[in-house]
Amino acid sequence: MAMEIFESGLSWEVRANSRHYHKHKQKKSFLCFHWGRYADNVVHSYKYSPLTFLPLTLFEQFQRVANLYFLLMLVMQCIPAISSVPWYITIIPLVTVLSVRGLKDLVNDMARRRSDFEVNSRPCDILVSQSFDSAQWKDLCVGDVLRIHKDQVIPADLLLLCSSEPHSLCYVETADIDGETNLKYRQALSATHTQLTSQPSDETLAAFDGLLLCEEPNNSLYTFRGELHWQGECHPLDHAHVLLRGTVLRNTAFAYGVAIYTGADTKILRNSGKQRVKTTQVEKVFNRVVIGIVLSVLLVALLHAILSGVFSSQVMGNADISSTVVVNANPVYTGFLTFWSYIILLSPAMPIALYISFELIHTVHSQFIGWDMEMYWQPAGRPAQARNTSLNEELGQVGYLLSDKTGTLTQNRLVLRQCCIAGEIYGDASVRAEDVEPMDLSWNPFSCGGLHMSAPSLVEKLRGQQCPPSRQFLTALSLCHTVVTEWKEEALFYQSASPDEETLVGAARELGWVFLSRARDFISVSELGVTRQYQLLALLDFTSKRRRMSVLVREPEGGLKLYCKGADIVILERLHKDLQYQERTERALELFSQACLRTLCVAVRSVPEASWEQWRKTLAQSAAMATCDRDALLEKLYDQMERELQLLGVTAIEDRLQEGVPETIALLQQAGLKVWVLTGDKKETAVNIGYSCKLLDPDTRLLEWQELRQILQAPDPGVSFFKARQMELWAVDKKMAGAKTAVVLTGPELAEFDQRPEWGSTFMSLAEHCQSVLCCRVTPGQKADIVKLVRKHTSSVTMAIGDGANDVNMIKTAHVGVGMAGVEGGQAVQNADFALSQFRFLQRLLLIHGRWSYRRISLFLRYFLFKTCGFALVHIWFGFFNGFSALSMYETWFIALYTVLYSSFPVMCLGFFEKDVSAESSLSWPELYKSGQRQELSSPLILALSLLYAVYSSLVLFFIPFGVFYDTALDYQTMAFTVAMAATFTATIEIMLLTRNWTKINIAAVCVSVVLFFIGTGITHSTVLFKKAPADYIFIGVLAKAFVDPVVWLTALLTAWTAVLPSFTAHAVNITLTVHDKQKVHSISPQPVELKSTFRRGTSLRRSPNALF
Amino acid sequence: MASSYNAKEEDGHHSGAPAHGGAAAAAAKSKKPDNTAFKQQRLPAWQPILTAGTVLPAFFVIGLIFIPIGIGLFVTSNNIREFEVTATPTRDTSNVFMYYGLSNFYQNHRRYVKSRDDSQLYGDRSALTNPSKECEPYRMSDGQAIAPCGAIANSLFNDTLELYHIDSNGTRNTIPLVKKGIAWWTDKHVKFRNPGGNNNLTAAFRGTSKPVNWRKPVYDLDPSDPDNNGFINEDFIVWMRTAALPTFRKLYRIIQKKAVTTPTLPSGRYVLNISYNYPVLSFDGRKRMILSTISWMGGKNPFLGIAYITVGSICFFLGVVLLIIHHKYDTRNNSADIPN
Repeated sequence: MAMEIFESGLSWEVRANSRHYHKHKQKKSFLCFHWGRYADNVVHSYKYSPLTFLPLTLFEQFQRVANLYFLLMLVMQCIPAISSVPWYITIIPLVTVLSVRGLKDLVNDMARRRSDFEVNSRPCDILVSQSFDSAQWKDLCVGDVLRIHKDQVIPADLLLLCSSEPHSLCYVETADIDGETNLKYRQALSATHTQLTSQPSDETLAAFDGLLLCEEPNNSLYTFRGELHWQGECHPLDHAHVLLRGTVLRNTAFAYGVAIYTGADTKILRNSGKQRVKTTQVEKVFNRVVIGIVLSVLLVALLHAILSGVFSSQVMGNADISSTVVVNANPVYTGFLTFWSYIILLSPAMPIALYISFELIHTVHSQFIGWDMEMYWQPAGRPAQARNTSLNEELGQVGYLLSDKTGTLTQNRLVLRQCCIAGEIYGDASVRAEDVEPMDLSWNPFSCGGLHMSAPSLVEKLRGQQCPPSRQFLTALSLCHTVVTEWKEEALFYQSASPDEETLVGAARELGWVFLSRARDFISVSELGVTRQYQLLALLDFTSKRRRMSVLVREPEGGLKLYCKGADIVILERLHKDLQYQERTERALELFSQACLRTLCVAVRSVPEASWEQWRKTLAQSAAMATCDRDALLEKLYDQMERELQLLGVTAIEDRLQEGVPETIALLQQAGLKVWVLTGDKKETAVNIGYSCKLLDPDTRLLEWQELRQILQAPDPGVSFFKARQMELWAVDKKMAGAKTAVVLTGPELAEFDQRPEWGSTFMSLAEHCQSVLCCRVTPGQKADIVKLVRKHTSSVTMAIGDGANDVNMIKTAHVGVGMAGVEGGQAVQNADFALSQFRFLQRLLLIHGRWSYRRISLFLRYFLFKTCGFALVHIWFGFFNGFSALSMYETWFIALYTVLYSSFPVMCLGFFEKDVSAESSLSWPELYKSGQRQELSSPLILALSLLYAVYSSLVLFFIPFGVFYDTALDYQTMAFTVAMAATFTATIEIMLLTRNWTKINIAAVCVSVVLFFIGTGITHSTVLFKKAPADYIFIGVLAKAFVDPVVWLTALLTAWTAVLPSFTAHAVNITLTVHDKQKVHSISPQPVELKSTFRRGTSLRRSPNALF
Repeated sequence: MASSYNAKEEDGHHSGAPAHGGAAAAAAKSKKPDNTAFKQQRLPAWQPILTAGTVLPAFFVIGLIFIPIGIGLFVTSNNIREFEVTATPTRDTSNVFMYYGLSNFYQNHRRYVKSRDDSQLYGDRSALTNPSKECEPYRMSDGQAIAPCGAIANSLFNDTLELYHIDSNGTRNTIPLVKKGIAWWTDKHVKFRNPGGNNNLTAAFRGTSKPVNWRKPVYDLDPSDPDNNGFINEDFIVWMRTAALPTFRKLYRIIQKKAVTTPTLPSGRYVLNISYNYPVLSFDGRKRMILSTISWMGGKNPFLGIAYITVGSICFFLGVVLLIIHHKYDTRNNSADIPN
């Protein structure tokens, strides 16, 4: 037995109804020791308890380098020998930062605690000694048998034993797990079904003593492997037998199950992994600058330490002075101590409050995205959502937009427009779907409208029993799918994970082939009013790799039929050789794809009894195999069955473009974005969508693989690219040739890039000159590869947008991933950084929110750098005139309060409210977006200039007061106040220069900062505080004296003005030079979006199919 | 500066009102964002329209403000009569201030600045006998606490300056030097206090020792005025208010004006008598005596005026340069725009 367990890897042992056995093996922990095997069903997503909050939050926060750095400073300040400023100076900003963040974490944790409590105390029915008792989720233990009611959430991963429905089917909704709202069915083993429902009572369930052997808990939602040993038999189990925690039981009165995994072992909790941390370009640059600042501080401290040593050795001659100034009469030791003192003194140059403010601004920007009414999608009641709150400014820098097609550019609200049965085409796609004249379907009681295809001849044929292929075609549509039915108020509803299937089954219903219900082994279909039961023998499911699905059924008459539907190339290559309609069908396929319709081929095969028997045996053997071997074998088996098919026909489904897609793409292209489309669709469909959404112009020249390959292989690809283009367009205006080329690639062609990695960079440099790149027939993996290619060879920010599970990979790979909350499941959204409901919302997301965020955050960072460095670096210059002794230029309280009170509010307001142009103007002048792509506001050069500016202003802040105070009777404290006032004024004037958008809050923040400076200084200079602690408030009376001294005021004002003079001049130069650009932007009329002369488009269409086949 | 008021309709209230009505429940459930000016980022705001026309004049205006201020400051500063050591008397009828100046004296060295105990100086009894560690190595002397402790106090400037006027007869008249009112009011009355009030200082300071460099104990600093002794001695207070930079001056005495018409220091020969106590040579420094009148802007300070004139001129110059750029750019641009 043990051997067997080891071999199969099924080491998770669960004994049904033996609570005692599992209870003592439950996981327990004390401090950091853990023992036991089975988790209990209590969810602990909260982190803190009243006792652990403080240590834990401090531990977490000091993992950030910035906080740790300041803690180190704090410790150093407590050493009297080197303490240049008192310890409380660092602690004020540090405590502010720690408490703001700690409070934020605490609030989040309280919310988690509440939701945990709510979840843990949900009711469930557990079988305890012969009868079901009502209990709470947290009481549940592995091996317990549970009863789940309709619409109840399943509390743990359960093995379904039986249910109230026939064949122990049950339906679950998995919205909480993958966001898909359609129903899925699960089915109990027939063994448990028959045994446990024969005598429907609690006793039989209580007597159930099966032994379950399963794989160890893992996070794979769609696989499960296990065995049930019961009554001497071994039954293999897979994921269809399992009800996962978090899913909801629907359409089923009761279901009974035994808990396999509880609590932390359940698949959903195993899946709640961490999100990958993405850092933005701006942040990366800024982090490097901060490291640069820290290194410079070290360097300056070292320099001053050496000079301090030199100074000390010079005064060694005088015993009076050296006894005070030189520590231990040792200049080297004095220099050593001075080094640390300067590190402390210059530490405010490292912006401590920056990271917390940065986070706050990001959070608010993300809220703005969610609050935007114009990105709210009324029909679905869904606002836009920023799931990742730290990427906002990246939205203002996107250079490449890689878009999925289906569901992203298109609505994914599918309508059957045409079909071709036995070579005969029905329906007319040239009429708009809404304008199709509805057919008279009153003969069909199940008809409920929604068919946008007018084909009276087909109906006639069907009802007149004339054309067997059409009848078979519709039988295929009503059988070959995974749709689930649901009766709501006497009406039949279809639910499916695939919108295509739902459309096709719905269309079949309108035409009289009504799919009624699905049981484990049977599918009931009403064919023109006659209900027929098909025995379902096998379902060969759809995968993106197989691109087809089939069902094997036994007809009521006894024959075996395989119905198959799938992508055209897959089906066409599996057809029986001599087929009469093949040529006509292929022509129909071509026509359909030219009309931008999605096509699926439907085929049938009669299966001989003997081959079915043999096939079934092999299939049964495969069930016991390990996952990876089994998959390969299944692939082969399925392939054997889906052969020698007879083509029945082709369906053509229209997937209409979303509202505003052409305008959005045109706008984004004007904003300098490269829009690429990556799709699994056929080339013609993709190219046609490209034309209809204005991604391609009618006169765009398509560069296809053969040509591209030649160019790539050429010794000088760039030259041959332009040559090729010129040859083609020699007659056309040269200027025009620039943008009017688009590359069209397909999946297999892309695969060649894997073998020729050197093509990557060449291709990218060509692609930069192209209008767009279309990649068709690509797999999810290839989509991600393309994103990687772009990321690798350009420095641009990439954004991927998609709606389906097949886009998840690319969404995760791109700098910014956008998920479309559409018809397909929620997986794309789950993995995305931003979620939108409509493609056109990208306009606002990028051009307004993105551009503003980028501008705000860049300005915020630059200003922050300026204000902290300009303020702190004054100490370097002061050092030259105080014997390099690390005397502070400011009152110590001022250092503490400057970052927190005197200069923080206006810059936060800038980060929240700044806008240079209004939202409307951002959209009407998309060219403004380009500054973000070029990193105009956040390039390392700009940040270096800001630093230089800070150094300049620190020089001014010191040397003007120096000149005034030199050889006068004015004392140190007055000078400290003067410099402090000048520094505050400088910071305030600079923010006033940066702010373009003055809301009331901005104005208030600026006024409050200045007023706070005087109030704060007044308080620390007050008599009251001095009397309490004479040593800490030695600046008593300075404000009162200096406030009335005109020299102090005149010095401070002159200093502040001189400090910001470069900034003011730069602004003035900017205004003088760019005021005309704005006028230009004005004068550029929006490019006429009216495109494509029909003739041109016709030619390109005619050309593309030839190139394809 | 021209501004455009870019206020959009403040529709914050509109969305709030219906939510109280019957639709409250529905509105609460709906995820539809609130239509408030804040959430829609439509807060009314001033957006100053900055054009060359508004920015360039700013340079000239600032230049035009700064240069006169600078000239005013410079003239004021020049009107202040200041005489170093060899003093030529004036006909000024205002008070004349007498300063001593020290050069290359790092009174702003951190270790020096810290070497004091403000609690002791505030008259705290426990600090008197047990001064702060910061005062080391001038904390204890012969087992007794030093009062006042620390390096600053220890290095108190203790030269005595006396000024005589030699009139036409050759007689030597002592010019009365006022030593009251040279310290800050807050220093004299709040920051510095003798332990146990001003009575019987000898008893109050019993058990303490004088700073090592001093000749007299702290309660005996001014034999002439019993109220000017101990920590509240004004010379001491002035010294304790440390200088900002290594070259500084400190107020020593005030020569008060006599009457409205007679000059404070009539012309004639003067003799300055310095009791040379303070060792300046040892720190490679220089010692000076300055007589100066003051104005509204305090002592003589030519730098500030020059700085104002300089910065004002730079602004003016920048304004001119920008004007030229603007003019050139403007014409070039207009001509370039025409073909479009």
